[in-house]
Amino acid sequence: MSRRFNPIFASLFIFGAILFAACAPTSTAVPALTAPAPRELTVFAAASLTDAFQEMGQQFEANHPGVKVAFNFGASNALRTQLEQGARADVFASANKTEVENARKAGLTDTGGEIFTNNRLVVIVPSDNPGNVETLQDLAKPGLKFVMAEKGVPVGTYTLQMLDKMSADSEYGAEFGPTVLKNVVSQEQNVKAVVAKIALGEADAGVAYVSDVTPDVVSKIKTIPVPDQFNQIASYPIVVLKDAPQSELAKEFVAFVLAADGGQAILERWNFIPAQK
Amino acid sequence: MSVHELAFPRPVKARFSVGRLIFLVLASLLVLFLSLPLVALVVRALPLGLDAWLAPATLDALQLSLITASLATLIAFGVGTPVAFLLARENFRGKKIVDTLIDLPMVLPPAVAGLALLMAFGRRGLLGATLSFFGIELPFTTAAVILAETFVAAPFYVRSAKAGFGAVDRKLEQMSELLGVSSFRTFLRVTLPLAAPLLFGGLLMTWARALGEFGATIMFAGNFPGRTQTMPLAIYSGLETNLDSALALAVFLVIVSFGILFAVRAVSPKGITLG
Repeated sequence: MSRRFNPIFASLFIFGAILFAACAPTSTAVPALTAPAPRELTVFAAASLTDAFQEMGQQFEANHPGVKVAFNFGASNALRTQLEQGARADVFASANKTEVENARKAGLTDTGGEIFTNNRLVVIVPSDNPGNVETLQDLAKPGLKFVMAEKGVPVGTYTLQMLDKMSADSEYGAEFGPTVLKNVVSQEQNVKAVVAKIALGEADAGVAYVSDVTPDVVSKIKTIPVPDQFNQIASYPIVVLKDAPQSELAKEFVAFVLAADGGQAILERWNFIPAQK
Repeated sequence: MSVHELAFPRPVKARFSVGRLIFLVLASLLVLFLSLPLVALVVRALPLGLDAWLAPATLDALQLSLITASLATLIAFGVGTPVAFLLARENFRGKKIVDTLIDLPMVLPPAVAGLALLMAFGRRGLLGATLSFFGIELPFTTAAVILAETFVAAPFYVRSAKAGFGAVDRKLEQMSELLGVSSFRTFLRVTLPLAAPLLFGGLLMTWARALGEFGATIMFAGNFPGRTQTMPLAIYSGLETNLDSALALAVFLVIVSFGILFAVRAVSPKGITLG
């Protein structure tokens, strides 16, 4: 036998490997053929909704046998960009009206959606408070390491609006906002990244939502409340997308999110502010 | 089967060409798959106006990237050369472990590298207290960017330099020493020049890898324009706010990376592949 390289056998081998790889997932799915085909609902949701929506997903799955809820959490503007670029999803829940409005302009949805919950800002510092931040005034201390979300990320925009309002107030003065912005050491991609930098103790202060102070991080961070006159109420709209592969299921999910004994109760447990009816 | 067929089997060439065809198809599939996204990127970016290419944010990121990647490469050269030489020439206890350790960052997810750097050099890290005693705080600084890039990219230089030192003919060094040249001068005058192509190739690879570093940087150094926002971070941020600038930077990175890899092929001696 010649030991020369045989391209035919090699090709057959490669094809075989590709076929095998292509078939492998199907073969594992065979037992499911007897049960109704599993349906997957894809939900794009603001990063701040991570914990509450994961809990909702579990309840929704329990109430709808054979349904799997897949989440994609991220900054609302990043999610909207992904949708514009052709990502398939059924439901979009944004941390501001702007991104749902942008989605509507891009033809991804026909409505402005329904506000299903609200959130508000809070200043967070590491539990050992290395920057000695006791009041909002302290955010302007020279050399303080301040992190916020990027402009365009809803919480980043809300933070800028908060600083504007404070600068307009005589108690803080016009220089307050610009001084705080000089302390920014990092512009994070979403609110959870801001929380992580504080929980790790790497930055001295940051701005997140009240709902971000979850049991996971509550021992690692302290909060300084932001008074109503400066605070921003973040309104969260939810929409079923026009090209939703599972539009019926998507409507059921939105109804579940809006239901007092369903999503609303869960959101309240995660420190969201109920939507006014 | 006739006697004729036994005596004159069908030419191997016909069989060969079927296999070859399948091979060509498979090969072009991969080449297409790898090049199509890059072509698409260029096609989208070409009509961009100059302002996308010359936007201040774009130039800031470009400048920061070039500086940090060059410094990371310089550090890799300074401390990587002795390591590579020792690994190539000497046997010592734990050599295999050091060798493996040096390769490790090449396969680690950069996010792991970023987290590890925070745990070591972060404010609450292993060395955090010591560093802050000397008034050094690394996270969120340009120095952190350089450290992250060095951590991830230096192994590329060490591997290549190790191969370079390993390929040098020891007889030439011995001859030089027999002629009374000190071993350090021999290293400078004989070993280094002979290993130079692979050292240079390794430096180019390290520079390219440092230029593309993302995960470790965003975790360890954060994201701030002009200070820690390198090109890959600017691309990521731009995706949501300024797609044109992101496209311009992406195309720039593709072109530079292609050029570097091509140059590495040109400088590396035949028969020796860069690992």
